[in-house]
Amino acid sequence: MADPAIGVWLSITARARSEGTAVGVRHAVTACAEAIGAGAVLSMSASLGSHEPVFATDPRSDELEDLQSTLGQGPSAEVIDGFGPVLEGELASAQALARWPEFSPAAVARGVAAVFAVPVGVGAARLGVLSLYRDWAGPLSRDQFNALLLYADAVVMLALHERGGLAPGAIDVIGEGFTERRAEVHQAAGMVSVQLGVSLTDALVAMRARAYAEGRTISQVAADVVARRLSFTPTEPLLPGRGAPIPEEQAASSGDPPAPEEKRAEDEHGEGGE
Amino acid sequence: MSSSDRQVWQAFVQLADTLTADFDVIEFLHTLAQHCVDLLGVTACGIMLADHTGRLNLVAASTEQARLVELTQAQAAEGPCAGAYRTRAPVSCPDLAAARERWPDFAAAAMSAGFAAVHSLPMRLHGDAIGAMSLYSTQPTTLNSQTAELGQALADVATIGILHERTLRRREVVTEQLQNALASRITIEQAKGILAERFHISVGEAFTMIRAYARAHSLKLADTAHAITEGKLSITIPE
Repeated sequence: MADPAIGVWLSITARARSEGTAVGVRHAVTACAEAIGAGAVLSMSASLGSHEPVFATDPRSDELEDLQSTLGQGPSAEVIDGFGPVLEGELASAQALARWPEFSPAAVARGVAAVFAVPVGVGAARLGVLSLYRDWAGPLSRDQFNALLLYADAVVMLALHERGGLAPGAIDVIGEGFTERRAEVHQAAGMVSVQLGVSLTDALVAMRARAYAEGRTISQVAADVVARRLSFTPTEPLLPGRGAPIPEEQAASSGDPPAPEEKRAEDEHGEGGE
Repeated sequence: MSSSDRQVWQAFVQLADTLTADFDVIEFLHTLAQHCVDLLGVTACGIMLADHTGRLNLVAASTEQARLVELTQAQAAEGPCAGAYRTRAPVSCPDLAAARERWPDFAAAAMSAGFAAVHSLPMRLHGDAIGAMSLYSTQPTTLNSQTAELGQALADVATIGILHERTLRRREVVTEQLQNALASRITIEQAKGILAERFHISVGEAFTMIRAYARAHSLKLADTAHAITEGKLSITIPE
C-alpha cells in the first residue's frame, strides 16, 4: 500500500523546487489547495490568542478568513476554540445558516458553497488553522479529508522548522517523518516544556532541533526524555553545535559564545534504542 | 439471572447511563475498557482508533501502563489489531509463542510485556472500520463464542460512544468526532508529560492524577488535560 503521506510531501517539495526556493508553509498551503480543488488560507495564532491569515491562495479566501476573525464566527473560528476539524459541505443549508448567521450568507454571496477547516497543531500545541473555501457543495471524500490532515501535519512540521531556525537542508531529513506521532513524543513535549519553561510548541521545536543536530529521529529523542535518560536545560541553546549550522542572523547577533551544552543525564543515549 | 449475567447487565446499564448529551468520551472508553477486563476475563484491554495516516492510536485502556502504549506502536504495521482493523473481522492469537513467524515484531513485544494471548475485535460503522479493541491475556487463551460475542457487543458500544448518535446522520460529523477523540488523547499525553516532570512521577501516575481531578471537579478528561497544558489548573499531589 502506497503511503499517501509520501505523495503529499512530494507535492509540497515539488512546488518549492519549481520556484527555486526553500520549502515553506506556503508551498504546503498551495499544494493542498490544488489537491482538494479549493482556495486555501493558513491562519496562525499571534499573541494573546488572536489569529491572523498568514498566507492565502486567492483574495476571496483571504477576505472570508478575515471576515471570520472579525465576526468571531465560522468554521475556522470554531476550530480555534475546539479540538478538531469543522467541515461544512453545504454552506447554504438551513443548518449552516443557523450555525453561522452572518458568515454563511456572506460566503455564499461570494460564491463559496463548502468550507472545511482543520487545526494546525499537535494536541494542545495549537499553531493555527488551515481552511479551504470551495465553489461547489458536497462533503470531502475520505481520501481528500485524509490528504487535508496530512497537509496540516506538513504545515505543523514546516512551521516548527521555521520557528526553530533550522538549516534548510534539515527539512528533507525531518520531512520524511512528518507524520510520526508516537505517544512518547507527546509525553516528552510535555516534559520538555516544563524543563525549559516554554510552550508545548517551543518544546517541540527544541526536540526537533536536538534530533536534527544528533542525526536521530524525534521519536528517539522523545524516548530518551520519557525514560529520563535525557533532560533539556534552559541554558542549552535551541541549536546544539553538532551538525546544525546556526542561522546567520543568530550567529551575527550573538557576540558571546553560546553557553556550553549541558546534559544532566550523560551521553548514554548511544545504547541501542531499537 | 446468574451473577455473571447480572454483571453484564450492570455494565451495560452503567455504560448506557454515561451516554448522555455531553459526556466525556475518553472517560467513557476507559470505563468500557475496564468492563471488558472484568466481563471477558482478560488481563488488559486497549481501544485503538485509526488516524488519517491509517495508523492505530491507543485512545483508552484498562491500564495506563506504558507497556500497553508501546504494544500499540509495535502493531502499527503488523499484529492482530492491524489485522482486525484492516479486515473488519476479529483476529485471534490464542498463543503468541506460536505466532512468532506470523508477527515477529509484535509477538516479541507482546511477550516481553508479559502477555501470552491477544484477541482483537474490529470497531465497525456502516461496514467501515474506525479502529480495533484488543484484549490481552497473560495465559494462552481462546475466547469461547459467547465471550467473543459479548466482546464484539462491547466493541460496538465503544464505537457508538465515540461517534454519538448525531453522527449517524452525517459522514462529516463522524470524521469530526474521530479526530476529536484522537486530538483529545494527544492533549492528555502532553498533560501527562507535564505532570510527570513537575512532580517526578511516572506518566501512568500522572494519568491517575488527571482522572482523579477530572472526576472530583466534574470536568472532562480532555478539558482537564487542556487546562493543565495552559497552566490554568493548580493541581497538586494529594498528601
